[in-house]
Amino acid sequence: MERTEVAAKIKAMLVENLRIPEEILEEDSELFGGDIGLDSVDSLEIIAGIDDLFSVNMTGVDKTNFRDINALTSYVVEHAEA
Amino acid sequence: MKKRCVITGLGIVCPVGNNVEESWDNIQKGKSGIAEVTSVNTEGCYARLGGEVKCKELPAPQFDRSVRLCIKASQEAIADAGLQKKIGEAGIIVGSCIGGAVSIDEYLTAQKEGREDDSRISNMAASSIANNTAAYLGLNGVTANIVNACAAGTMSIAYACDLIRSGNGSLFLAGGTDPFSSLAFAGFHALQALSVESCSPLNHSKGITLGEGSGILVVEEYEHAVARGARIYCEVAGYGVNCDAYHITAPDPTGQGQMDVIQRALKSADAVPGEIAYINAHGTGTAKNDEAEFLSLHTIFDGTDVSVSSTKSMTGHCLGAAGAVEAVFTVKAVSEDILPPTIGYSEEDKAVLAEKAGELDFVANESRQKAIPMAMSNSFAFGGTNASIIFAKGEHPVEDVPRERIFVTGFGQVFSEDTDEAAGTARVNLEMKDFTERGVKLGVFRKLDKFSQLQLISGIDALTSAGITVTEENERRIGTIIGTSAGPVTEVSNFQKNICEKGTTAGSAFTFPNTVYNAAGGHFSIFTKTKGYCATIANGTQAGIQSICYACDVLEKGNEDIMLAAGTDEGSDMVTYFYEHSHINGDRTLGEGSSTICLETEASARKRQAHKYAQIAGYACTHSAGQAGYTEADAMTEAITRALALAEMEAGQIEAIYAITSNQAAKESEEAVLERIFAGRKVIDVRETTGDCRAASANMQVMKAAKGIDEKQYKSAVAVSYGCGSYSAVVLK
Repeated sequence: MERTEVAAKIKAMLVENLRIPEEILEEDSELFGGDIGLDSVDSLEIIAGIDDLFSVNMTGVDKTNFRDINALTSYVVEHAEA
Repeated sequence: MKKRCVITGLGIVCPVGNNVEESWDNIQKGKSGIAEVTSVNTEGCYARLGGEVKCKELPAPQFDRSVRLCIKASQEAIADAGLQKKIGEAGIIVGSCIGGAVSIDEYLTAQKEGREDDSRISNMAASSIANNTAAYLGLNGVTANIVNACAAGTMSIAYACDLIRSGNGSLFLAGGTDPFSSLAFAGFHALQALSVESCSPLNHSKGITLGEGSGILVVEEYEHAVARGARIYCEVAGYGVNCDAYHITAPDPTGQGQMDVIQRALKSADAVPGEIAYINAHGTGTAKNDEAEFLSLHTIFDGTDVSVSSTKSMTGHCLGAAGAVEAVFTVKAVSEDILPPTIGYSEEDKAVLAEKAGELDFVANESRQKAIPMAMSNSFAFGGTNASIIFAKGEHPVEDVPRERIFVTGFGQVFSEDTDEAAGTARVNLEMKDFTERGVKLGVFRKLDKFSQLQLISGIDALTSAGITVTEENERRIGTIIGTSAGPVTEVSNFQKNICEKGTTAGSAFTFPNTVYNAAGGHFSIFTKTKGYCATIANGTQAGIQSICYACDVLEKGNEDIMLAAGTDEGSDMVTYFYEHSHINGDRTLGEGSSTICLETEASARKRQAHKYAQIAGYACTHSAGQAGYTEADAMTEAITRALALAEMEAGQIEAIYAITSNQAAKESEEAVLERIFAGRKVIDVRETTGDCRAASANMQVMKAAKGIDEKQYKSAVAVSYGCGSYSAVVLK
């Protein structure tokens, strides 16, 4: 899957599942801390969403991979089965 | 006059037994009721255990399982108290976390299979639990459903005592009920809060195991019990309720809120920590709960010879029923001088426990004899609600506080001004900017469902309007009571719809916390840092006025200076669909909104030099089981006349009359009551401008009445509402 396509799907999932307003969510917006302010419950929702979309399991994965849409996208692209 | 509240009857149905004798016997033997779950599809789930009720013959199949469990426990409590012939005067206060979630599941499952079962709709809201139970058993006393998640069962007993002490009845069935549900299982599964093995509270602490059931206690005024020669188990010596204002699901790790609520209960019982011989801990078995609870217990009770256990190790976590089930066990512990154990400790675990326990006695694996003159049961919930209750042998009259005058000192409201004529709805369109201009950041805003959004706006505006700044000095003396008819129905239904379609593993960790009715109150307290008494009651439209009556009772107990009393109900396409299919809204425009009134004691208002809009001169709540002998018209008449009597006013002196009548069968007789009492004078129906916003409309009546008095349009007013067989009335001057 193309990187841009993965990033778009992740963004749509974050907007839909975590009620982050689309207009403020950039690919390098910091998800945890900062304005968006995600927390541990939200990270569970992201893990479930990524698993659902790409069958990639991010349980227990280092939090740097959750920093922003770019980091999530890189992890998915690297670990998704072709 | 000092009124003592005693326990004269017990009833229970839970994973360890179908009645009190069987359950208490198993608890003493350390027998667990936890096994592989059968009532929820656990396919693909990492955890599959639960505590389910084994009873196959629950009464009243027409009702939701929450009601059936509640009726079963109530029948035992009534018989145990020897009240079969005198039960008509009793009220019922029921705690519930998930309300009618099983009926929502049944409805959506039927829909998925191409069937429509509209009979389930009237069972969906938590509002229906007390009303259906009261109708089935013929109870005509005050009813309410306390919906503060896992603290609800404990709070219901405390509220029943408050009602007795404020003269609103002498006899109550009080407790909690919650059935096993896919909603709770999927939700806690998504939060990864379920334990793979049987839960191990105060020990391995690797998560909860869910349970189900109902515990009902007969709470009776002492003189009333003595007059009928009742057997008295023990006395309710004291209780406390407060809010962490920390996090929507997790407890404050410093244990501050827990310690504060334990101190409130001790103060209310006029007791010191050394007098408590046994504590039935909240002890859920999550790491966060158990750590905070160890800390709280050590801080307050080190140096005493208190014994502590968690009976959840055998029953699982029965959510809204937990506090009530545990209250039954605590009452048995006090009356029989037996300490129930926490089970599941291996020899190695006991060595670890010895270190963690320090000076405290944790009752590991086996029950023991011990003199228990006084015992405490603690419950801590989602939304940050904490409740603590103390049962005791002997006499513990609660000191009467002189009745203080209560004033309306502010209000906030959010309603729609636009009606969509074609759809028959009036919706409130809230945007991010509505929140940012009130200082609410995105991280908070994102978490809010519509129900919480509405409540947060009207609550913040009420504090602002009253000129209140929350500080470390006043944060524990400001509380909130929210009344609702249907609660967060959209969030609950969407969560349920998702798991009906995709399976139990598809539960959303993000939305689950909002499916509890008190989430809106939780979000509000977290944002505003208000840490006083907090409760959410679900009881039809009139819950928007009942919240005011409840708040006045709390203010009169003297713990709080300021109480926000709200009415909130949301609209959505799903809400419209449910109302249309259950035909309970007639042809009225279905609105949504929230109204919050700031109530304050005279002393507090004077100290702050607050503007006083009007005085709450009188208030009353009543209920009719809908049977001959005491009809809905009788209950409405009594609510109005009692509120007038408390205000020391005649009906003829009332200059403005606000009333919300039923959309159904009782409407005509209700209108006749108003006609008779107020001699045919004009009755104002606030729903004409905003649509039927249910509890929000009921509360808005009081706001309008107070404003009218402040603007000198009239000198006095009454606001009345119906809802779920209940009536409440407030007289303002």
